[in-house]
Amino acid sequence: MLRISKPLIILFAIVWSLAGSAFAQSADVRSIIAEFATTKSFKQVEAVVEKLGATSDPVAAPALRALSDGKLKYRKSDGSVFITVEGSAGLSLIDPVSGEKVDSSSAASSDFKKVKVKNSLRRKIAAVLSGMTLQSKSATRRLAGAKTIFETSDASALEALDAALTNEENAEVKEVFLDARASAILASDRTERAKLDAVDRLAARGDRAALSLLSKFSASTDGALKEKIDGAMTSVAAGQAVWANAQNIWYGVSLGSVLLLAAIGLAITFGVMGVINMAHGEMVMLGAYTTFVVQQFVAAFAPGLTTYALLFALPLAFLVSGAVGLVMERGLIRHLYGRPLETLLATWGVSLILQQTVRTIFGATNREVSNPSWMSGAFEVGQMSITWNRLWIVLFAMAVFATLYFIINRTSLGLDMRAVTQNRRMAGAMGIRTSWVDALTFGLGSGIAGIAGVALSQIGNVSPNLGQSYIIDSFLVVVFGGVGNLWGTLVGAMSLGILNKFMEPYAGAVLGKVIILVLIILFIQKRPRGLFALKGRAVET
Amino acid sequence: MLRRHFLAGAASCSLLMSGWAHAADTIKVGVLHSLSGTMAISETTLKDAMLMLIDEQNKKGGLLGKQLEAVIVDPASDWPLFAEKARELISAKKVDAVFGCWTSVSRKSVLPVFKELNSVLFYPVQYEGEESERNVFYTGAAPNQQAIPAVDYLLEEESVQRWVLAGTDYVYPRTTNKILEAYLKSKGVAAEDIMINYTPFGHSDWQTIVSDIKKFGSAGKKTAVVSTVNGDANVPFYKELGNQGVKASDIPVVAFSVGEEELAGFDTAPLVGHLAAWNYFQSVEAPENADFIKKWKTFTKDEKRVTNDPMEAHYIGFNMWVKAVEKAGTTDPDKVIDAIVGVEVPNLTGGMSKMLPNHHITKPVLIGEIQADGQFEVVSKTDGLVAGDAWSDFLPESKPLKSDWVDLKCGNYNTDTKVCVGAEG
Amino acid sequence: MITKTGLSPSAGLGKATRIFIGIILVAAIVVPLLNITLPADNTFHIPDYLVALLGKFLCYAMLAVSLNLVWGYCGILSLGHGAFFALGGYAMGMYLMRQIGTRGVYGNPVLPDFMVFLNYKELPWFWYGFDQFWFMALMVILVPGILAFVFGWLAFRSRVSGVYLSIITQAMTYALLLAFFRNDMGFGGNNGLTDFKDILGFNIQTRETRATLFALSALFLALYLFVTAYMAASRFGKLLMATRDSEARTRFLGYRPEKVKLFVWTLSAIMGGIAGALYVPQVGIINPGEFAPANSIEIVIWTAVGGRGTIIGPVIGAFFVNGGKSLFTGWFPEFWLFVLGPLFVFTTLYLPKGIVGTTTEFWQKLRAKPAEILPEAPPQAAE
Repeated sequence: MLRISKPLIILFAIVWSLAGSAFAQSADVRSIIAEFATTKSFKQVEAVVEKLGATSDPVAAPALRALSDGKLKYRKSDGSVFITVEGSAGLSLIDPVSGEKVDSSSAASSDFKKVKVKNSLRRKIAAVLSGMTLQSKSATRRLAGAKTIFETSDASALEALDAALTNEENAEVKEVFLDARASAILASDRTERAKLDAVDRLAARGDRAALSLLSKFSASTDGALKEKIDGAMTSVAAGQAVWANAQNIWYGVSLGSVLLLAAIGLAITFGVMGVINMAHGEMVMLGAYTTFVVQQFVAAFAPGLTTYALLFALPLAFLVSGAVGLVMERGLIRHLYGRPLETLLATWGVSLILQQTVRTIFGATNREVSNPSWMSGAFEVGQMSITWNRLWIVLFAMAVFATLYFIINRTSLGLDMRAVTQNRRMAGAMGIRTSWVDALTFGLGSGIAGIAGVALSQIGNVSPNLGQSYIIDSFLVVVFGGVGNLWGTLVGAMSLGILNKFMEPYAGAVLGKVIILVLIILFIQKRPRGLFALKGRAVET
Repeated sequence: MLRRHFLAGAASCSLLMSGWAHAADTIKVGVLHSLSGTMAISETTLKDAMLMLIDEQNKKGGLLGKQLEAVIVDPASDWPLFAEKARELISAKKVDAVFGCWTSVSRKSVLPVFKELNSVLFYPVQYEGEESERNVFYTGAAPNQQAIPAVDYLLEEESVQRWVLAGTDYVYPRTTNKILEAYLKSKGVAAEDIMINYTPFGHSDWQTIVSDIKKFGSAGKKTAVVSTVNGDANVPFYKELGNQGVKASDIPVVAFSVGEEELAGFDTAPLVGHLAAWNYFQSVEAPENADFIKKWKTFTKDEKRVTNDPMEAHYIGFNMWVKAVEKAGTTDPDKVIDAIVGVEVPNLTGGMSKMLPNHHITKPVLIGEIQADGQFEVVSKTDGLVAGDAWSDFLPESKPLKSDWVDLKCGNYNTDTKVCVGAEG
Repeated sequence: MITKTGLSPSAGLGKATRIFIGIILVAAIVVPLLNITLPADNTFHIPDYLVALLGKFLCYAMLAVSLNLVWGYCGILSLGHGAFFALGGYAMGMYLMRQIGTRGVYGNPVLPDFMVFLNYKELPWFWYGFDQFWFMALMVILVPGILAFVFGWLAFRSRVSGVYLSIITQAMTYALLLAFFRNDMGFGGNNGLTDFKDILGFNIQTRETRATLFALSALFLALYLFVTAYMAASRFGKLLMATRDSEARTRFLGYRPEKVKLFVWTLSAIMGGIAGALYVPQVGIINPGEFAPANSIEIVIWTAVGGRGTIIGPVIGAFFVNGGKSLFTGWFPEFWLFVLGPLFVFTTLYLPKGIVGTTTEFWQKLRAKPAEILPEAPPQAAE
């Protein structure tokens, strides 16, 4: 988010400086801004912010925004105040009023001191800014200002709003202005008629923010207005309840996708090959650490490509985990075919080694894997909020599933794999190099686990324990869905995810999970070979 | 076979003993922190911090004319193993003091061992209180040194009216939330304005809970979250908060278990303004702190390595122990336990922390806001130092209890009935 | 037809087993004696630390022997045996908590400390009776026994087998782990039960009590080995191994494998429970961590390393792995996993029948004429 706002600040600083030259008060603003350098406490900073607000001069806006972002600093030596932008060579300085870059090539950040802010100050600044920016040239600024008024129900902004409304041409912004106006009217001393209309306007929004506002005013009003507000609240709440179910299904699907990603590699190594692969979680972990390394590497050598680091990480994670899987299969597991339970012991040993190796190399603490901008934030669908990272993970899980399904059912490698699993000797007799197929299958399963790690690094911890936290759930998903069946894994993961999310509100996160485990145990009694049991001869071997 | 094993065990044990015998001219300090398993993520740093402190002390000429020697074991996040390793440190490796443990359960597990073998344990992590033992020194925060000042800040500065108390389901959040609930009710907060939520360890899917928090926060009253969510679960929790757009200016989250080390695990830009309450932040400007950070970065050979609150607790605890040993002229636990009460050493925030008769220490309470660079900026600091209180005044059962190892020689003296209930010296 | 497999070379109460049981019985007396009677500076003195450690290992060995009964002899791989151990431990822990009486930090005569501080007003119903030793002893047997019986009755009747069974046993212990973590369950949550004072009126911290517990554990272990050996040699043992090697064939021969399995599964759970009950007073704490699936996997590892399907193998495995863990965590605290991990890999690759199985086989090969060498075990249905 900050990355975007840096150029924006500069851009708007320039816009403002052009606009600002028309105001005679800019000198006044400059002298007030200079006072920031002498502030000792939050109270004093607040006083200066109020003074700036009193000028209602838009020239002050860039400085206020910088203050809110923690970018307003003053030079320790002479106390002059600048908007600062952190760069690789130190700070670059921008004049807070003119918005021009100050020609000072080497500004070490240790020479500057930040003007401190805190939450309550940020709110104050937003309120002050909202009045100044309603007639700004930028639609985003106008929107931000109106939203602040909407949230704070600032009755004193009504006149400015009305004035801005008459000039507003952008339809989208106009809507937000009207909402803000409704909110402000409820807090003002306008007529009951106007307030009733305002309630209608808010109720029409039907969202949580409207509900929040309405309940705030419900407490402080009486008579017909209160009745109206309460009625509006009931209808908004009813609408919300309907959407809550859709939201819950979405949460379930997204949890299901995480389970699917965690389990899908195991569906190959355990499901298809019958290896009780306790090191599966560590393959996921290796994928996550690969992402970390790639991000570090890209940040160091190609900073322009940081948003795409994840895309580079995908093939690399597949290769890293796949290669480790291949080595494991060649060096270890191929000696253990026919003794599947012993693979448990050996792979457990491998998982200990891998964990400790990663701990030794990268340290025991969490490593930072950042979300690219296209995976941050959320958007609304109706009254439902969908976060981008969850959406991408759901899509990604589906893509991985589809690819894997294609490989197994439509490629010659897949054909070989199925042949070897169904009847190893016969497959061998047909000329398939069974040992290579085994190695490739295991490598594929491990590689898939690795790319799952890339996705999972986006929502959770990247630590040496990462694998351990997914392993039990992964086995449950595969067994619940039916060993050896990819569709089973998909349906299993999704149904467990959705069930979990519908259980959570009633039973709580812990008890909900316990209930689900008990249900799985009981389910296996009914269908001892999972949801999608393999039929035919394969069952008995 | 078994006999051979016994012999092997006995032989290896005596071998170990003889191995240490030659180093009898050193003073041994046990370090009991998990280096593998789930807690390694937090505790490994403390092991490194102890190594550094011991190293520094040796550079200053050691203690009582002898060099200090760190004895490190790995209890592997396994609670019964903590007890076993504690026993090994004290009786087999003959250490003079132990610095260690993170979770409450590990402390509870080693407690009987320290009592039985009469040694000293320095425990560096904020905890739930309700305990005071003769052999343990609590250098982390008691609830009154962290939770209550944080809530006071939110009440005064942010005028919060509705509260979500979210925590991991174990004893520290349970107790803290119980104390906070009682405290908030005493401040006139209605029961329906408090939502309490517990999640399991390592909880990773926070979608529903964050959405519940948003819903709870849309009742037209200023809402805040008090988080006692433990270590590992915090990264997904904060990522979800950031993505679902819970902004600090709308619903601030104040955390008691999130420090610089935890923040190093993710991008904090969307979280600027959320809060944490500790007794130390790396960003505090004090000469001792600058010195400590510099030494730490040199010692770990990592410019990006951060410091945190439990490290400061070890810093204070270790220096207190050193002073007490110098004062007593011996490392004998009984003498050290008597000598250490009243010892004052500088903390890293520019004050002097003092060991109290209840084996807790005085500390300042700082409230910090998360910054985009993963550090905290102090927005509030208590005027003086707050004395750690073992027994909370907000819990009816522990209100009459008092701990004093100097005059009363008792960890839980009941001031109503005038008897020492359990923990006697 | 029942094939004799290479997995049970020491089936029956053979000479080696008898000697081994003898050694354990001797250790039950000698170790405590050397610990209590000799002064600390005597060469043969066994320090308290070692007695506590070995006592703990004995309980682990008991647990491994009970797992071996179902896995080694009946082919049921349980990844949830830690649950029975922990349940037995909790029963003992509840008794020990009730013994604290007014010596808790809040001085409440009935409620354990953690209940006082979680605002319990009265004792939950499931804590009744635990102030009596006999009741606790009964529960140590009944609670794991009934859970295993119900679980086994459901699972074996519907013919859940192989990995499916393994994974649902893991789900069982995982569910119990999560449940016991909850403070609302009334078992002390994550901290579990701790700060015990005395057992049957004897102070739990004294050397004599600890020595007694050690001797008791050794006696029980000897008993477990005797039961295993006796059972393996009996007709029932043959039926067990038949079920392990080919359940379908056993069924066709007119036996009811599910009944056989249910019996031995329940017995094994009870044995695990008793091991847990003896473990808790020796380590001084019981908490939900014992339910962790990783702990149950470790039990499987001890058994496999020692040699599954052999009588003394699990004991050797439990001592070997845990002894290694104790030494390595002290010797190379930062690298011990690099020793333990490869050890497991090495065992599976080069000692597929475990330490005992492989050694026995080696001896048999040396002594036997080539023709008598046992054939390889056929692939097992249970797997």
